[in-house]
Amino acid sequence: MAQRAVWLISHQPRTALCGTVRFSRRYPTVEKRARVFNGTSYVSIPEDGPFLKALLFELRLLDDDKGFVEIRDSCSHINKTSIYGLPIGGEELWPVVAFLKNGMIYACVPLVEQILSPRPPLISISGISQGFELLFGIQDFLYSGQKSDTELNTKLSLLPDLLLQACPFGTLLDANLQNSLDNIHFTSVPQPQKQPAWKAGTCKKIGKTMEIIIQLTKEVQSTFFDQHDLSVPWNFNYRFKCACDLEGIMPNVTISLSLPTNGSPLQDVLVHPCVTSLDSAILTSSSTDTMDDSAFSGPYKFPFTPPLESFNLCYYTSQVPVPPILGFYQVKEEETHLRITVNLKLHESVKNNFEFCEAHIPFYNRGPITHLEYKVSFGQLEVFREKGLLIWTIGQKFPKSMEINLSGTVAFGRKSHEKQPFDPVCIRGTAYVKLHFKILDYTLTGCYADQHSVQVFASGKPKISAYRKLISSDYYIWNSKASAPIIYRKFYV
Amino acid sequence: MEYPVQLWPDAPAAEVAATSLLDTLVLLPPRPSALRRLLLLAATTALAAGGALGPTSGASCRLLPLLLGLASGSNLEPGFGPTSEQRPLQATACECLRELESCKPGLLGGTLGLLRGLLGQAGPVQPLSLLLALALRNILVVQSRAGAGLQGLLMAGVSPIKGGLWDWTLVEEGDTHIQPQAPSWQAAEEGKHGLAAREPHLEEAREVRAAVAQLLDITYLLTPVAQAQLLWLLGWALRGLQGQPPALFKPQLVRLLGTAQMTLLHAVLALKAAFGEALFTAQDEALLLRRLTLAAQHPALPPPTHLFYLHCLLNFPENCPLGPEGEEAAPLLLRPQMCRGLLPSLLHDPMALLARLHLLCLFCAEEEEEEKDQVQSLQHSLEELLAGLQQRAALEGGPRALAVLCFQASYLVAHCLARQPTVLTPLIHGLAQLYQARPVLAPHFVDLLGQVRPELGEPLRVLLRQEVVSRPGRDEALRWHLQILAKVANGSDQCATLSFLQAAAGHCTGWDLQQALLRVCRALLQAGGGDGLADLLQVLARQLEDPDGRDHARLYYILLAHLARPKLGVALAPSLAVPALTSSLVAENQGFAAALMVQEAPAPMRLSVGSREIKGPLPVLQLQVEVLEPVYSLELRFRVEGQIYAPLEAIHVPCLCPNRPVRPLLLPLQPRRPAPAQLDVHALYTTSTGLTCHAHLPPLSVNFADLFLPFPQPPEGARPGFFEELWDSCLPKGTESRVWCPLGPQGLEPLVSHHLRPFVVVAQPPTSYCIAIRLPPDSRLLMRLEGAQGDGAPVVLRTDDWAVLPLVGNYLRGLSAAV
Repeated sequence: MAQRAVWLISHQPRTALCGTVRFSRRYPTVEKRARVFNGTSYVSIPEDGPFLKALLFELRLLDDDKGFVEIRDSCSHINKTSIYGLPIGGEELWPVVAFLKNGMIYACVPLVEQILSPRPPLISISGISQGFELLFGIQDFLYSGQKSDTELNTKLSLLPDLLLQACPFGTLLDANLQNSLDNIHFTSVPQPQKQPAWKAGTCKKIGKTMEIIIQLTKEVQSTFFDQHDLSVPWNFNYRFKCACDLEGIMPNVTISLSLPTNGSPLQDVLVHPCVTSLDSAILTSSSTDTMDDSAFSGPYKFPFTPPLESFNLCYYTSQVPVPPILGFYQVKEEETHLRITVNLKLHESVKNNFEFCEAHIPFYNRGPITHLEYKVSFGQLEVFREKGLLIWTIGQKFPKSMEINLSGTVAFGRKSHEKQPFDPVCIRGTAYVKLHFKILDYTLTGCYADQHSVQVFASGKPKISAYRKLISSDYYIWNSKASAPIIYRKFYV
Repeated sequence: MEYPVQLWPDAPAAEVAATSLLDTLVLLPPRPSALRRLLLLAATTALAAGGALGPTSGASCRLLPLLLGLASGSNLEPGFGPTSEQRPLQATACECLRELESCKPGLLGGTLGLLRGLLGQAGPVQPLSLLLALALRNILVVQSRAGAGLQGLLMAGVSPIKGGLWDWTLVEEGDTHIQPQAPSWQAAEEGKHGLAAREPHLEEAREVRAAVAQLLDITYLLTPVAQAQLLWLLGWALRGLQGQPPALFKPQLVRLLGTAQMTLLHAVLALKAAFGEALFTAQDEALLLRRLTLAAQHPALPPPTHLFYLHCLLNFPENCPLGPEGEEAAPLLLRPQMCRGLLPSLLHDPMALLARLHLLCLFCAEEEEEEKDQVQSLQHSLEELLAGLQQRAALEGGPRALAVLCFQASYLVAHCLARQPTVLTPLIHGLAQLYQARPVLAPHFVDLLGQVRPELGEPLRVLLRQEVVSRPGRDEALRWHLQILAKVANGSDQCATLSFLQAAAGHCTGWDLQQALLRVCRALLQAGGGDGLADLLQVLARQLEDPDGRDHARLYYILLAHLARPKLGVALAPSLAVPALTSSLVAENQGFAAALMVQEAPAPMRLSVGSREIKGPLPVLQLQVEVLEPVYSLELRFRVEGQIYAPLEAIHVPCLCPNRPVRPLLLPLQPRRPAPAQLDVHALYTTSTGLTCHAHLPPLSVNFADLFLPFPQPPEGARPGFFEELWDSCLPKGTESRVWCPLGPQGLEPLVSHHLRPFVVVAQPPTSYCIAIRLPPDSRLLMRLEGAQGDGAPVVLRTDDWAVLPLVGNYLRGLSAAV
């Protein structure tokens, strides 16, 4: 379950090496064990330089993408996980856990406590998931609240000390590096026993106001087509976020979610690891099952010991009969230009009070917009010529008719590869409108977390506040005149 | 510290380093200092990584009691840090001990009782839990071999330091057998790997269960990653104990399954793989699958996590697996309805698309009648997806990754659905269209054709060949067309291919294009050639601008003209010779040379001398042949050492097959003097693959008796006179000798009739025989065997050749043994 080495590599396209190792750490005691466990199949951890080169090649991040290279491009060289075998110096280093996120490549090599040839099944290697958690932890630490390169550099410079806390010998103790940061500056307050290890050393000072903030966010995903044999798939994901500022070592909190009468039950519930117990009825409710009336309908209790930071207590989905905004999009290729039509209709049951609502209409794999003629029934249209993007700002409210539309023609200039990058999805007429909106104090299902239902087992009475909101996420309306990239058939209904 | 080999090349150096680190630690002033922790970590690393950890190391004997003291929060040396630092140091000491225990399993075996006690009272929960779990796991491994008293260890609340010395006895056992924590679970099940399942005593088992339960009870206080580590360790610990129901884990499962933490779900999967039905009923299994399915697509989780869960789905440790082990398959309880969110779309990144595509293919491959409609619908989705991928790959100027993805998807589909023409046919046509749109993808096509099974490969070859030859060859795509043709050209439909090549030849101006053209010719040649090809090669040999190209064409023409078809195939088969970097012709010639030259080979046959049959004026050897493999055009060559016989004619046999009876081969000998000899034998033959081989066979011996020939037989009545005449004529030129011929128990008669019957001239059985032997070229040997006694017979012999006397003596003495 230990890691032999960890790397952070920033990907820098169009430079000589295409990347720089920003951080690396090797664990010699783990390496010693690897040599024993792996026996004749042992491959040592390479130096940073060869590792960087091999990894960038395998991840296809080198600039020389021109030719066909068999060991990388062969049709049978199929990788379906973020776990790679890197050819280095005639040997293969495996398993290398690696992924790219925000221009940074996170990589580590977990210890495999057995012979590597033949490759043992991934499920039998505990270090794989531990490695992923370590990398996710580093990623969260680097990018939480980080805005600038200077901040990133500061955080990178903290990493050696942090890993000495969180992963001193290559075995991860806590993936939350912020906790470790707090631990470094340890206080002299004697810590009681039975303190959860995922709570940092600091404790709430007595006498300060305690507070619990509950936030229920609904993210609605949707995809629309206008083709007769395609159903309209769409789903909601709810995020139930909690921030608890409480006194005591192990304050216990129970929050209940309640459904209105005839409300759809919660499904696909995922909870934060701090939840201490879970009703099995909550666990078994799945969106893939056919619904029946006897389904568990709450209240849904989540007992937990809150960590210090705000956290996502649970995620769930729920089936709602209609999407909040129905849409229609049509793009017709005419001789020198495109003719576009967009219709949007707000469902009558939805609260017509947005914090914001806008429709993004991008045009990929074309040049900059050179000419635009349009007519909108409502709102304003902004044009980003170089990016090939139209943004239709609808504002806070739909008009009384609840229906708005946009029509117009767009012409494009010559395409230049640097400014308009290639998009592999929007080709041959495939195009979309993406809706971005947010409605405060509203959820479609009516599911709610009542302040009075919150039970707190701690000294003192905390102030409890609850908020709700509905936001869009991946809310696409595809061009009905072209094939859509997602295939949903009657099979799903 | 990251490069211990450079820092401490050997154990003494590591020992010195650790000692000086420990010395520094003692010198620190008694105020809070972050250095204490670092020094402990460094000393631990130096000892463990430097290989110095052991009972003879002074530093180890100082560090271990210090760490244990710190970990137990008690006997801190006076002045060792302020009390405020005690807690972090306690945790650090536990981590150091855990690392040392990992490197030397069994090291903390004696502290189990102490650690249990600490966990119950005070001390940081996580470091102590993990340390105890690891020590417990390791001691179960060690103890299963050593038979140490587990119960005593678990109960003892005392320190392992006896009389100031650390107890290393359990390490000695464990040290040489550092065991995989998780070898393939199945193997562990059978008790093959290390942890031999054992049945513990009742009390022992109770103590182990109590310790495990104690650890599990407080797992929720641990960070998720540490919880997972604990579950792996405890799962592994319990596996070693037979008859220990894993039900202890059951209360944790609902809580664990509720999260989507990768480490926790992974640990649950490991428990599933380890305990199977004992811990997971069919319903539990279905629930676990559902949770995995959900986690594999949940938007709150990062893409690498999705991919890992998809992998777990395809490699799910089922209670009752149906398919072959090690092959990816959809679990039986996973139905397509459950995976509706897991189907691939063009919006997915390549890895997610391939993983989901694999799942889709597995569903499409299902052949159950009641799900026919569903499978059809899925196949339709698959078809549309592949068409979308092909469209994207066909985009002019698109990144190579899109093409790679399209071909990988095609490969995957062909691999999983090789027997489903409804899927393969549109795929093949789509690929052919893709080539039409973007010939620059030819290397991908060549690669695909080399990898897929004939179900996809053969029809695709035909389509691509038609596609290429139907186009006039002059545009930029020519070199791609030639590359494809070199892969797909074969014997059938050569006409069209040849006319394409003829048209293309004029446009092949550069060396590389000419080589590409010649590679196609080579492929045709390998398929058998033909008249048209010979003409084309002649034209090329004259017209090509590049001398290398001309030479090449000429060589091919010569090969075509002179070699029979099977031989041609062999000659052009992939060369084993490493290509040289000079001319391609040279490189290729190395290949031809190997195929066209006679090759040395181990003898594929056995040759032996059979029974004698006397015919004709010369001695003839009858050779028995036995072949191990089919051999054609065999030529056996014989050479006599010392020129005592005239040169021997070679023997030719057209064909020999194993297990087919063969008539003996006749080898006439022409001795220059009557003496035995060794024949050196060589075989030259052709194998069934068309190679010509040469083998050196073991030598054959020609014995003295093999040279015996009878005199022409006179009429019955004249024989005594005839013999006497011969007898007398030997002297005075010749010589007479007397030898003793030992007889076996049967006496003289069987000996004569067995060995000398053809040469007997006068016989009065069973006592008297007169024998006359002709020895080529012109010697004679006459013998009288008379007056046999119990164990032998006196033999009077006369010969006109002195030189044969010792041979005769040897011969006669050897007869009785050979009866």
